[in-house]
Amino acid sequence: METDYQDADSDMDCSDNDNECFDVYDYYNVVDDNDMEQIDPSQTDPEHFAYDCLTEVEVEQLLNESVASLSNSLQITPSLAKVLLHGHCWSVPNIVMKYRENASNLLISSKIKPPVTPTPIPCSRYETCPVCVTQHMSEKFYNLSCAHMFCKDCWIMHFEVQINQGISTAISCMAKDCEVLAPEDFVLKHLIKPNLREKYQQFTFQDHVKSHPQLRFCPGPNCQVVIRSNEAKAKRAVCSQCKTAFCFKCGMDYHAPTDCQIIKKWLTKCADDSETANYISAHTKDCPKCNICIEKNGGCNHMQCYHCKHDFCWMCLGDWKSHGSEYYECSRYKENPNIAHESVHAQAREALKKYLHYYERWENHSKSLKLEAETLDKLRLKINQKVMANLGTWIDWQYLFVAANLLAKCRYTLQYTYPYAYFMEPGPRKELFEYQQAQLEAEIENLSWKIERAETTDRGELENQMDIAEKRRTTLLKDFLDV
Amino acid sequence: MAALPRRIMKETQRLMQEPVPGISAVPDETNARYFHVIVTGPEDSPFEGGLFKLELFLPEDYPMSAPKVRFITKIYHPNIDRLGRICLDILKDKWSPALQIRTVLLSIQALLSAPNPDDPLANDVAELWKINESEAIRNAKEWTRRYAMDN
Repeated sequence: METDYQDADSDMDCSDNDNECFDVYDYYNVVDDNDMEQIDPSQTDPEHFAYDCLTEVEVEQLLNESVASLSNSLQITPSLAKVLLHGHCWSVPNIVMKYRENASNLLISSKIKPPVTPTPIPCSRYETCPVCVTQHMSEKFYNLSCAHMFCKDCWIMHFEVQINQGISTAISCMAKDCEVLAPEDFVLKHLIKPNLREKYQQFTFQDHVKSHPQLRFCPGPNCQVVIRSNEAKAKRAVCSQCKTAFCFKCGMDYHAPTDCQIIKKWLTKCADDSETANYISAHTKDCPKCNICIEKNGGCNHMQCYHCKHDFCWMCLGDWKSHGSEYYECSRYKENPNIAHESVHAQAREALKKYLHYYERWENHSKSLKLEAETLDKLRLKINQKVMANLGTWIDWQYLFVAANLLAKCRYTLQYTYPYAYFMEPGPRKELFEYQQAQLEAEIENLSWKIERAETTDRGELENQMDIAEKRRTTLLKDFLDV
Repeated sequence: MAALPRRIMKETQRLMQEPVPGISAVPDETNARYFHVIVTGPEDSPFEGGLFKLELFLPEDYPMSAPKVRFITKIYHPNIDRLGRICLDILKDKWSPALQIRTVLLSIQALLSAPNPDDPLANDVAELWKINESEAIRNAKEWTRRYAMDN
């Protein structure tokens, strides 16, 4: 093993040298870095999140450091240290404190020692194992701290069955009602089959990562990366390997400003109401003026009927004139003020109406995001045409992609504001939220419209719009993202 | 098929020689891991007077894994469902290789004396057991009379 590591190190050294040579010439980046140092992103960006992406080996090292530290300070085996750490969120100081307070209590509650001190075992040459009811030489018997003796073969069988059920750190003594756990060294001493040893070590590794408050497995399919962060908050982590973006706290898709419980509630509700969801996900609507049937195949909610040229909003089918300039109210759900006096049926209808209002908007933005690839293709095509027509160079038009990326980011946040609003209690805070949401939505639609219709390489107006949209987004998150 | 483990032979012998009162467990003639079980309804329970048939099977890795037990006779009980499956901790996560066929059957008999509607398997039964216990007990007696007697 030693030599393997050294080889790897010397390989690394070579590549480091290569990089250094490169760095000398790469002076542009150095200048950029200096500029960035002036700003502390944790102060200005509500979504700022510091984390590392670790490989299995790096995680192993991290865990082993805690194990070594605890086993040194309490003078216990690394194996017992692992049991303690697994049961106490990997907090060495916390365990040491509890150990100094009352060592016996800690060991009992951690299922390392039995609650009652075991009676000494009679020593004869032969014993009968209570599991296989067979007599063996007493040397063939093993026990945990609880002194329940079983023969070696039965322990092996017990471990095999437990491991094949996916149990590793929770394997306990075989005696009835005995909860004493089998520590790693005890299990590995008896396990001989290499595939079972491997399985056991893999399962304990998974259990340890899951019990560690700073670690999360990347939820990406077949991804081995573990994300580490000092703060277990509902913030966005992006895996360096598979690029999966997820909420560090709950592992679901990132969902700011909505919190983990609410988004779970919302997604369950959406799944339960799938029939209605199917009904609404019919993609077409009729033009409010000429009633021609329109299928939406792009991102923007500002629709212009190709038939009668009427400008309207796809969401509320209202005239776009009142959207662009005046107070934008399309995202707000207007509750019936007399609802308490209405019949049960009317209340149910109102509840469904309210849900559909938010669901439609949620689904609409989600669909827009799914069309992102097509939007980018369209942009590429458009840029090609412009360049061929001698209207600017390829480089001149790249700003459109930056704008489209920002649009997707804003839309993503906007999508997740709808579950948040749905579960909010009515009151001034909700009004403020919906006001900001409406502002964000209006700016996003403006941006979307401007990207689709960018005809010149003069990007001043568009960049201005990008800045406004992103400011609206961060303002909303600053005020309402509570993690 | 592999030879029958000593543990199973010993348990079977003891079940025959010192049977548990109110419980009979007889291995099948063709499969020594399959037991025909009859449990008598405990006194002072709605199942009193009934004879309940069960099947018990010892899986390949018994005693490291719990035996599989199921009621064959229909029974109105909050912890036993329509298929006769039993909700009992020692048959699941609380199983210990030190437990035996005998202890499992005693636990099942105890479950008949003390139904636990807070940990239900048959939801409708458990619901009635909680809101209207006397009616639930009447149902249990009726089912006992109808399905667990005259056989």
